[in-house]
Amino acid sequence: MADKVRLGLIQLCGCSGCHISLLDLHEQLLDVLPNLEIVYAPIIADVKEIPECDVFLIEGGARNEHDEHLIHEIREKSKVVIAWGTCAVYGGIPGLGNLYSAEQLKKTVYGTETTDNVGELPSDEMVPPLTNSVMPVPSIVDVEYVIPGCPPRPEINAGAIVALLEGRDPELPKKIVCDECPRTKENVIPETFKRTFEGTPDPEKCLFEQGYTCVGMGTRAGCGALCPSAGVPCRGCYGKTDEVLDQGSSLANTYAAAGDEALKISDKSALFNRFTLPAALISKKQE
Amino acid sequence: MGKITIAPLTRLEGHGKVTIKLDDSGKPADVKLHITALRGFEQFVIGRPAEEVPRIVPRICGICQTAHHLASVKAVDAAWGAQIPSAAEKQRELMHLGNMIHSHALHFYYLAAPDFVLGPDADPAIRNIVGVIDAAPEVAKKAIAMRRVGQSMVEATGGKPIHPVTGIPGGLSKSMSEEKRDELLAEIDTMIQYGQDGLDLMKSLNEKYLDTINSLGVIDTWYLGLVKDGKHNFYGDTLRFVSPDGSEKMEFKPAEYLDYLGEHVVEHSYVKYPYNKKVGYPEGLYRVGPLAMINVCDSMSTPLAEEARKEFAETFGRPANQSIAYNQARLIELLSACERAKELLEDPEIVSTDVKAEVEPKAGNGVGVVYAPRGTLFHNYETDDNGIVTKANMIVATTHNVPTMEKAIQQAAEVLFKDN
Repeated sequence: MADKVRLGLIQLCGCSGCHISLLDLHEQLLDVLPNLEIVYAPIIADVKEIPECDVFLIEGGARNEHDEHLIHEIREKSKVVIAWGTCAVYGGIPGLGNLYSAEQLKKTVYGTETTDNVGELPSDEMVPPLTNSVMPVPSIVDVEYVIPGCPPRPEINAGAIVALLEGRDPELPKKIVCDECPRTKENVIPETFKRTFEGTPDPEKCLFEQGYTCVGMGTRAGCGALCPSAGVPCRGCYGKTDEVLDQGSSLANTYAAAGDEALKISDKSALFNRFTLPAALISKKQE
Repeated sequence: MGKITIAPLTRLEGHGKVTIKLDDSGKPADVKLHITALRGFEQFVIGRPAEEVPRIVPRICGICQTAHHLASVKAVDAAWGAQIPSAAEKQRELMHLGNMIHSHALHFYYLAAPDFVLGPDADPAIRNIVGVIDAAPEVAKKAIAMRRVGQSMVEATGGKPIHPVTGIPGGLSKSMSEEKRDELLAEIDTMIQYGQDGLDLMKSLNEKYLDTINSLGVIDTWYLGLVKDGKHNFYGDTLRFVSPDGSEKMEFKPAEYLDYLGEHVVEHSYVKYPYNKKVGYPEGLYRVGPLAMINVCDSMSTPLAEEARKEFAETFGRPANQSIAYNQARLIELLSACERAKELLEDPEIVSTDVKAEVEPKAGNGVGVVYAPRGTLFHNYETDDNGIVTKANMIVATTHNVPTMEKAIQQAAEVLFKDN
């Protein structure tokens, strides 16, 4: 790579949390920034046209035709494209929209109790039409790398940037969240399942083994097991590991060991694929 | 008839463009602000267990995720009739203030300040935070420190600095450790000092830019904000509308929001246009956020910020109607958030482990309101007997401001085109 990397950043169907996580390098930003020439980044700079870039970080997948168009344009103009953050890699939380049709989605949003002209919809040509479903970036164009996480921790972002500056491939953690989790396991399968607000979990023991619906065993490490450390079960925001084809199926496989009790868990599709539905083997509800 | 399109809008989170139609004499006849993205959270939280929703909705905004997490968990508490322990309320409030400190520092120093510090005519290639770091490294250093402390405050109470997770119906899943409290206390006085430095910087910039502030984006609107006993309040309690000339006030509780807020679907934007229902559409369009908060309160709730508010009112009037004065109003709030955080950090309950009440899911309807960094934020859910969400409504911070932003851009365009 050249001395200064020409970097582009954009947020599409995401929340900008990945951008904010990059800023969360705080004082370390001052070490990283001199190596970068930020040539395009609508969130922080006023450049309107996408220029030629060495590396482009795309946050968010595509929810409308304009997102899709931009992803193609970025691919054409960039040497290295990175699907940055879970929305770009797997669809993320907005991917839960794939449980509904685009029409149903609009009907609900423009039909809430505060809406006074129910039945009318945005229709102007300046408003890009929604796509039928949320699409992750790698399902639209080839990408060189993916960096999952909701958001990826600042050190993961910095590690990837430093690797690219040094001409190396960015590496992702290979383990699962359980490997980073400080809670102790006794290798038991819970007899029943509990919801997060029920009871008080033992602070030292594995949440899954206590009956809480943790999904750390089917989720790539990298977060430092922040959620189980804070007393709430993992929701799978870093997506699957390299070892499995599908996060939801891998989790269903683990939970099946609990037998009928697992069937009683409500809303399993949005639990096992909370962040990865658009990239799942079964990625959309049958209409 | 000509048409100018500004796309994409930059130095903001979100997606928009502006179109300005010109009449035959070249004057701006019609200005439209198009919000071009829709994700549909109100649909896809339906069918989810309500306690999961505070872990989903933070993704509405990666900058003010904490406000969404807390408004959401408040709505579930309300729907299920949960009474949460006072220590949990205080720790949630501290989480909220941490987000406010990070976001206000981000908004002013990273997004707005480049125009002031480098000048509005500077090359876009340097008119950004990287340019500020080069041109005014001491300003950038303070901005970075404030964001870091704010994010640490959220992580200490919320478990994660971005998309916090500890808010659960009935309280919090964990309490803040004494160690984290001590780390934050050790830095809070410096943050209060930086807050005052920010206001000094703004006042020096005002001397240079006062004419611009008093001419571009100056519009009369209603204002909506949050107060407690009439005082400015970040975390909740009472909503207050103030009329464009300041003569009329309306107060309501979050649960009464359907009587006071309406939304109108427009053709040219994915965002609906909220308005004061008692006044009607479009006369009842209003502004939210720092300017509105300063305009609607009787006073700030902390002493240094109250001094700054009085000075602000002397400079800009009351209610102040200058859109660019949002920046100074934001800095007053940043100072106030640091002062209030210090009060909470010094309260022994801030590390109390009594942070969770027993709660049962049930059929109900709950409204949760906080003041997010860009304005009042409403989450409203209905749940069934098992506590599964059956209906949802969200009116998020910037949404309230979109119609009046459009008006402000129209006014600014008229002024600029007259000059040129």
